[in-house]
Amino acid sequence: MESVKMRYLFPLGLFIALFLDGSLSLQFSGSMFTQSVSIESRLILLWLVMAICYGNVRHIFVWAVIAGYFFDTYYTGILGLFIVMLPLIVYITRSIMRYFTSSFIVVLLIYLIDITILTVLFYWANALIGFTSVSITTFISKTLGPTLAYNLAIFVILFFPLEQFFKRFS
Amino acid sequence: MQKAFFNKKLVIILITLIISFLLIAFSISVRNNKNTPSFIQSFGNESAGLVDRAVSFPAAGISSIGKAFTGLMNAYQENELLKTKIDNLASTKVENQTLKSENKQLKKQLKLDKSLTDYTKISAYVLTRTPSSWQNQIVISQGSNSGVTKNSAVLSDEGLIGRVTEVNKTNSKVELITTQNDSSNRFAVQVTSSSGSVINGLITGTSGSYLVMGQITSSDKIKKGTTVMTSGLGGTTPQGLYVGTVIKVSTSGDSSNEKVYIKPAADMNNINIVTVAKRTD
Repeated sequence: MESVKMRYLFPLGLFIALFLDGSLSLQFSGSMFTQSVSIESRLILLWLVMAICYGNVRHIFVWAVIAGYFFDTYYTGILGLFIVMLPLIVYITRSIMRYFTSSFIVVLLIYLIDITILTVLFYWANALIGFTSVSITTFISKTLGPTLAYNLAIFVILFFPLEQFFKRFS
Repeated sequence: MQKAFFNKKLVIILITLIISFLLIAFSISVRNNKNTPSFIQSFGNESAGLVDRAVSFPAAGISSIGKAFTGLMNAYQENELLKTKIDNLASTKVENQTLKSENKQLKKQLKLDKSLTDYTKISAYVLTRTPSSWQNQIVISQGSNSGVTKNSAVLSDEGLIGRVTEVNKTNSKVELITTQNDSSNRFAVQVTSSSGSVINGLITGTSGSYLVMGQITSSDKIKKGTTVMTSGLGGTTPQGLYVGTVIKVSTSGDSSNEKVYIKPAADMNNINIVTVAKRTD
């Protein structure tokens, strides 16, 4: 059962994570978007994955769709990408977690797989609609690699606080 | 039973994909053709903009503490440098004022009410930046309520930074000029050659941190360090907005292949306050 506190805290955290992604990208754009690297902050994914692994949250699919809608309309202006990809990630994570018990290493690996899927799909979709024309090798070295490294670092920092948070409130 | 379940899943996946593609096509056509986004987009934008103000404020605060610290470290050196520049600035300002008033009088005599250089300024602060590698896009805090229109040019205090691509009531999206997007609009710019003639061209893309100006109208020589500004041709941008300085000129064969590399005046990675320049004519 989902606790009453979780019912309010989960969406709150979801939206804070969503908007922090943009704020961090703006404030640290000097080091996140340069000639050689281009890092996509994905705190929202960390929040969703931790909620699936340690929390007991109902309607997580619906929340993923809502968050995806806000991401699309507010950040990119192109509806139809995150609104589908975030629920997809939730589905994938859930399906994998059926065979594992949550631990630091397991969640870390799943999180890295999720980031890779999301970044590759996002690149593919943007290449499809003509928003980018970079080659796959440039994409891997400039975006995918640094994005994985950055999100890995954020994961290591935020894993224990978030684990405690979700265990306590659900 | 197992087979029926599989079919149901497949149908759901297909329907989701179709809806997704339809939404993408829909939003691209809105972006290209309409002045204001549709209701489903603007609803999310307004509410997200409101909440984002609450979240981005502390983030900006923390970042400004860091910047203040590094700023303090550099303050002494900067102070020395700026002292030498300030005398120069005062005289330029006076000159600018007299030229402006003279220009006004001359325009009056010519009965020229509005020219390409006239524009109204709308100040806004930057709410957030798209966390995506594929769109160099920022969201600013003013929208159609304060008069922002689509395709207006956007300036930082140093120079041109981009163009408004989507206008909502209380916020709007700005695409930076460094964007790699193939379908984005191009800025018409001009530069004065060393013989004094005006050369027109378009910002056709980026190369590293430089802007590339192509489609150049004349093969006259351009000196390194010449200032580049918008030409006001082609619609919505006012004339005379500072873009940057010429770094190098590459000529391969005839003048149609000539490319001018421009160092943008504005620092695209440190934007907090912007001005939307809306042409008045």
